[in-house]
Amino acid sequence: MSLQWTAQHERGSRASLRLIRWIGLRLGRPVARAFLYPITLYFLIKARPQRIASRLYLNRALGRAASLFDVARHIHCFAATILDRLFLLSGREDLLDIRLHNPECVLERIDAGQGFLLLGSHLGSFEVVRALAIGRRNLPLKVLMVPEHNQVITEILHALNPQAAATIIPLGTPESLLQVKESLDLGCMVALLGDRARTNEGTLTYHFMGRPARLPIGPMTLAAATRAPVVLFFGLYRGGNRYDVIFEPLTEVIAPNRGQRAQAVERWTQRYAERLEHHARQAPYNWFNFYDFWDET
Amino acid sequence: METLAPLEQEVAQLIIETLHLDGMQVSEISPTAPLFGDGLGLDSIDALELSLAVTQTYGVTISSQDPNVRSIFASLRDLCAHIAANRTH
Repeated sequence: MSLQWTAQHERGSRASLRLIRWIGLRLGRPVARAFLYPITLYFLIKARPQRIASRLYLNRALGRAASLFDVARHIHCFAATILDRLFLLSGREDLLDIRLHNPECVLERIDAGQGFLLLGSHLGSFEVVRALAIGRRNLPLKVLMVPEHNQVITEILHALNPQAAATIIPLGTPESLLQVKESLDLGCMVALLGDRARTNEGTLTYHFMGRPARLPIGPMTLAAATRAPVVLFFGLYRGGNRYDVIFEPLTEVIAPNRGQRAQAVERWTQRYAERLEHHARQAPYNWFNFYDFWDET
Repeated sequence: METLAPLEQEVAQLIIETLHLDGMQVSEISPTAPLFGDGLGLDSIDALELSLAVTQTYGVTISSQDPNVRSIFASLRDLCAHIAANRTH
């Protein structure tokens, strides 16, 4: 089922992550990237559920039967972006060729002091967006996220950059969203990811790549409750050292009165699903939901 | 069930109206039961909307930085105590 990611342990022990961090920072990105091939092979052999999920997804995204090579490429793409988090968090985005598309829609709002939600997904790299915001430009960014997810990776990477850790608003307490509202009122952008539903979270079923999938309605409900505009972002990895960061304004204020809210939330979540599908088809190997997204098995 | 103090009745009504708890009566809300999780079952979106409504109605701001923020939301009675101590209108 699609909620199994919450129970899924991050593969890769603390020790091996520390090792790759050491290699990356001491010996450089090209040397560390050479290790991505054996790492990919290891996960290809050992991570059966992820391999199955990858193939199910790729069959849809590519519109043909995915081969084992496609699955390997998918895993390699994921591993490459995890490795690049190291460099991004340690302030080495100069190693990467990051191209911004339509950053004006973000910068204009920030200049005007207007808070907004920056809604992403597990398509592509979130770190590339965070690094640009807090590293180079010092833009006001908060990140709303489930605290316990990715704990080992998060811990090791955050040790590199305490400033990034300080931007996090942990989900799941009564005051979490108060803090979001306060940040929006101060003109911050608040980033969150909208494609994974947590247990007991409200979802709606949408057609996604031709088959029903459940998406959480929390992000759009939050947008409606805070009356914040929503801007979508996708940090797509294109291979080599190239990333395309795409921003798209989604909506201004959602449903000013509560009576129309449910319908509006449904409509805008649908729109989010459409944009996610569009970009997933353009950059199929960037899909980092390695679980049964459609509840097919 | 304990009877509600006047302010508790008022705030219980505010909760029902703000969060559209359709069909629920003021008398069904226990003043000491948890508002979130097991009790009324409110979630964090509800917490946000309730705090905005409390600000609008009583001029009381609930800040996420308040060290007592969790206990303010612990129950209807706790919320009312916070309002009574800080209200401006």
